[in-house]
Amino acid sequence: MAEPKHRVLMVSDFFFPNFGGVENHIYYLSQCLLKLGHKVVVMTHAYGNRSGVRYMTGGLKVYYVPWRPFVMQTTFPTVYGTLPIVRTILRREKITVVHGHQAFSTLCHEALMHARTMGYKVVFTDHSLYGFADVGSIHMNKVLQFSLADIDQAICVSHTSKENTVLRSGLSPAKVFMIPNAVDTAMFKPASVRPSTEVITIVVISRLVYRKGADLLVEVIPEVCRLYPNVRFVVGGDGPKHVRLEEMREKHSLQDRVEMLGAVPHSRVRSVLVTGHIFLNSSLTEAFCIAILEAASCGLLTVSTRVGGVPEVLPDDMVVLAEPDPDDMVRAIEKAISILPSINPEEMHNRMKKLYSWQDVAKRTEIVYDRALKCSNRNLLERLSRFLSCGAWAGKLFCMVMIVDYLLWRLLQLLQPDNDIEEAPDVLLHHHGEKRH
Amino acid sequence: MEKNLAGDLTPRPKWRKVAYGGMQTGYDDNYTDESFLEEMVMNANVVRRDLLKVMKDSVSISQYLCIVALVVLVWVHTLGSSLDENSLLLLDLSLLASGFLVLLLTEEKMLSLSLLLRYVVNISFFTTGLYILAPIYQTLTRSISSDSIWAVTVSLLLLHLFLHDYSGSTIRAPGALKSPNLTSCISLNASIVASVFVASRLPSRLHVFAVMLFSLQVFLFAPLVTYCIKKFSFGLHLCFSFALMGLTLYSVYALHRLFFVLFLVLVVLVNVVCPYWLIRMQEYKFEINGPWDEAKLCFDITD
Repeated sequence: MAEPKHRVLMVSDFFFPNFGGVENHIYYLSQCLLKLGHKVVVMTHAYGNRSGVRYMTGGLKVYYVPWRPFVMQTTFPTVYGTLPIVRTILRREKITVVHGHQAFSTLCHEALMHARTMGYKVVFTDHSLYGFADVGSIHMNKVLQFSLADIDQAICVSHTSKENTVLRSGLSPAKVFMIPNAVDTAMFKPASVRPSTEVITIVVISRLVYRKGADLLVEVIPEVCRLYPNVRFVVGGDGPKHVRLEEMREKHSLQDRVEMLGAVPHSRVRSVLVTGHIFLNSSLTEAFCIAILEAASCGLLTVSTRVGGVPEVLPDDMVVLAEPDPDDMVRAIEKAISILPSINPEEMHNRMKKLYSWQDVAKRTEIVYDRALKCSNRNLLERLSRFLSCGAWAGKLFCMVMIVDYLLWRLLQLLQPDNDIEEAPDVLLHHHGEKRH
Repeated sequence: MEKNLAGDLTPRPKWRKVAYGGMQTGYDDNYTDESFLEEMVMNANVVRRDLLKVMKDSVSISQYLCIVALVVLVWVHTLGSSLDENSLLLLDLSLLASGFLVLLLTEEKMLSLSLLLRYVVNISFFTTGLYILAPIYQTLTRSISSDSIWAVTVSLLLLHLFLHDYSGSTIRAPGALKSPNLTSCISLNASIVASVFVASRLPSRLHVFAVMLFSLQVFLFAPLVTYCIKKFSFGLHLCFSFALMGLTLYSVYALHRLFFVLFLVLVVLVNVVCPYWLIRMQEYKFEINGPWDEAKLCFDITD
């Protein structure tokens, strides 16, 4: 068995059994990296009674660290609390690259900081967009600046996200790679029999919250129903704005034309998508939007708001874009309905296969790891000077945090020398190895 | 776009700002072309401020500072027995009458008999309740030392001034659409607790009643009255404010020289120095907007 090329630790608060874009990304990326012959270990916090070490498909080892989530599935920020366990995992698994995901995962920021203190190569993937105006964003951006001040390479999921990350963290654009998300085209196949176009079904699958533009839906759906008597809507998802949509449905008596499914588990998303002709995305902000990929892979024509990274996601003939304004969105849906007869779901699915694949994402990420390993090692003093340049007050604070982290690490080394940490044997299952159990 | 993927037609096809189609031939994933940050907009919604306008607006703040200073002066004189309960009650009555008159004159609506009756009933309920509760207020903090009371009162007043809603009024005219926000409510409550604490140090029930009535009238309704004046005519608002400032400065001067100097410095700071600072700081304003911003909805959401 060949020695694995890279030994990667993926760190994020967000992983299965939780579900979302980041979780999906980490899972598929890890699977494809394993197939490329790398070793991948995932570190996340405990979910319910799922705590400790678990193995997933393909021998993907997952450490569910026994830290309880605090708000929105992120762990309580303790700055130094995770140092011992991060050190142990890094030693046990003989990690070479630490890859953190998502800017508001505290576990990721802490692990990246400790990994840098211990001289590991670190890579960070940013999955979301942030503004610069409100208090929350300003604090978040400062944390990101700290985390990214001394990073080896960063990855963003779209060009807009790259611009955003460069502005927020002050990184050099040459250090930031654009590697998009992908879609499992084998899972999202069009229906074998195309639904008849006598009744046009428009599918919406998103959490019903303000940021996903649920308020736009409330304005757009009645207007489209008024213009086209043969259009019906299927709305999947739940959230605080659910009530508003129900109210809209009753006010315009559209109970028989707007179907509300409630929360749709990810395993059922495909079966909902294939019943429709058009996919409607009304997000107000979006770094990438995997939902559009899933819909396009199922052969649906997408109508979306022109926000964030969405315009980069699909070629112009596979998507109709509109400004986040009800009138413009209705016009976009009109246009989509008019070009619908020329859309062939099977052809669209085949195009998506060529445009996006997780294997491609993994290969491109591999290049980033190679680059990270080539980065020169820096000693503590050189690194401190980088933190100092982060700001008049923040810079000094960051330096203090890093110095304390360094001292704690040295103390841990005294208490338990590196050689005392038992190394875990590599269990590398190969492609056909999965069938063994 | 599949042509670009093949990459054998042209040696180096043009780079495009797209996420699909895998790595673009001839370009690394960290390639940055000149269109990078092209859509960034800086300082798009910055308002150019005028020094005179900011100074005029800051008069509202110094006006309220004067009102609070006058309340404290009345407290000090009552505690020092230089103001007896009868003149206090007379002051309460005249304040009530003049405040009511101002509201009547500046209000567009005509006064009906039923509305007047409702006001009278409300006011009598309010004063009766206060009168009945006065003995409780008087003995409320007997077991606490005076020093603690003064310290807490001063900090509560500072909290009140810090959180006060200077642009509007916490007590709204009947039928107002917006409800007051949390900070202004905290501010109002801080001022009322401060008045209860001060009243609890007074010698007689009537004193307590008179001072409580006075403080509540001012803290609850002075912002509403000044707000109405400001809405009615800005010139009148300025005149009223300067008159108040003069009166306050004179009364503070009569009380203590040092306090006078401190208060004068505060008023100058609020009205001249701070607006100047604000204008000067505008050049450091750095606002970034771009495609990553959350889109704003162009219609109102009624929940």
